[in-house]
Amino acid sequence: MSLRYTLHPMPQNSVPNRPQEKNPDLHKCSEKTDWNAITRWFGDQIRGILEQSGRIKLKEIEEIRIRIGRPLLLLGSRQEYFLDVLGKAAPPEKAYLVQREDLMQTLERMTQSSLYAAEEEMKHGFLTLPGGHRVGIVGEAVLNNGELQTLKHISGLNVRIAQEIQGRAVQVLPKLIRADGLLYHTLILSPPRAGKTTLLRDLIRNLSDGNPVLNLRGQTVGVVDERGELAGMWQGIPAYNLGCRTDVLDGCPKRMGISMLVRSMSPSIIAVDELGHPQDVEAVLDALRTGVSILSTAHASSLEEAMERPSLKELFTFGVFERVVVLSRRQGPGTVETIHDLKGQHSSL
Amino acid sequence: MMTIIGSLILILGCGSLGLYLAARIRKRPIELRECLVALTLLDTEILWGGTPLPEAFATLKDRTDGAWRGFFAELEQRLQKGEGANPAWKATIQQQMKNFCIKPEDWQVIQDVGKGLGRSDRHEQHKQIELVKQQIVLIKDQASEWSEKQAKMWSYLGFLGGIAGVIFLI
Repeated sequence: MSLRYTLHPMPQNSVPNRPQEKNPDLHKCSEKTDWNAITRWFGDQIRGILEQSGRIKLKEIEEIRIRIGRPLLLLGSRQEYFLDVLGKAAPPEKAYLVQREDLMQTLERMTQSSLYAAEEEMKHGFLTLPGGHRVGIVGEAVLNNGELQTLKHISGLNVRIAQEIQGRAVQVLPKLIRADGLLYHTLILSPPRAGKTTLLRDLIRNLSDGNPVLNLRGQTVGVVDERGELAGMWQGIPAYNLGCRTDVLDGCPKRMGISMLVRSMSPSIIAVDELGHPQDVEAVLDALRTGVSILSTAHASSLEEAMERPSLKELFTFGVFERVVVLSRRQGPGTVETIHDLKGQHSSL
Repeated sequence: MMTIIGSLILILGCGSLGLYLAARIRKRPIELRECLVALTLLDTEILWGGTPLPEAFATLKDRTDGAWRGFFAELEQRLQKGEGANPAWKATIQQQMKNFCIKPEDWQVIQDVGKGLGRSDRHEQHKQIELVKQQIVLIKDQASEWSEKQAKMWSYLGFLGGIAGVIFLI
């Protein structure tokens, strides 16, 4: 049984929203960050510090790191901030040192005082909060017959703040669409924190709603949201706008979800996040024979690196993907480095 | 005439007070038994269902009666507001104990349920609840014996006290 937030009140604006960017190359976009929707998950002391940290540009914050006995750290897209007890940026030696109780209180809030209910999530090393914010967890691994059973003596949390950035897909979509308007089988590659999931969300929305500027008609998109990060579903309602023709299968493993969607919801496109497990690859190969387009992401900093990954190798051997988009953080998260055309075997920007 | 009416009122008044006190004494083991049932349900929800505490308390609220219903309703609300399980459990006891016939020493045992509640895995939670349940069983057995004798005594004592008062006044 996994952690359920069914009775937890969902605040308004739980997802910091970045509306349509005027210039997608720049990250200067108007943004309304509902900071309280994020700080409410922290223990009293840290919550107080975060709420006082008004002088820091909160729209830049991507991660909040809590490590026992270490300074409280906010990671921005360009800068990192250690916070002191008054919520001001300070050098690490003067910053607030996180106490065990701070971490336990935070974990208690995040699990609704039900750590036992998050056993499944703990096995995978992360929780997903309402709104799609992902919380990475580290501690001491408890093994049973060589299998990870759970984590104990939790020592650190990494809260990755999910943000909705709209408008980036328009940059890449023209190169991912065939002449008949259908999507090429596409893989988005990037190292962690480089905006894979954000771009995937934006692509899903554009493909689902259609885009008159690109002369793109709306298509039915099936999303298998295994980690609850893509749609940020809460009681059947997605926290993110994934478009009007999108069906979301929430919390379902990709190996089961893909075939379920193909059978039941007749999608034109199947979108999944973070391919990596051999069973995910099998499911994708199976879906290819059903005539749907695949839109997916994976961890790798280049096409060469992805081709070397044992779990993804098979996908390239079978020539599954026709387009590969490589992202980086060179000019901030979501910088499009190259778009490889694997069908025509050339690359472009 | 007035003397007779006055005497009757005194006897009935003292008798009712005695019956009221006897009823409260009889209610204590009943409430402890209901507490045991509720803890068993909570244990099942945690161990077999892996149900998060706010949802488990919502279920307990629906499946208990009287004062315990109010107790679990308040707990559910506190957890939904983001309070930790232990502080919420303690605060609810402080707030709700006036609605119960359970004695303060019983509450000290029940308060132990809150310690570490929700902060460990299912099996650890199960062990902890089982331990408190065993203690409550002991208290309940003692309370049952004691309450029978005390309740009888108070129901007689009320009327007898009333009669004694009448004789004294006459």
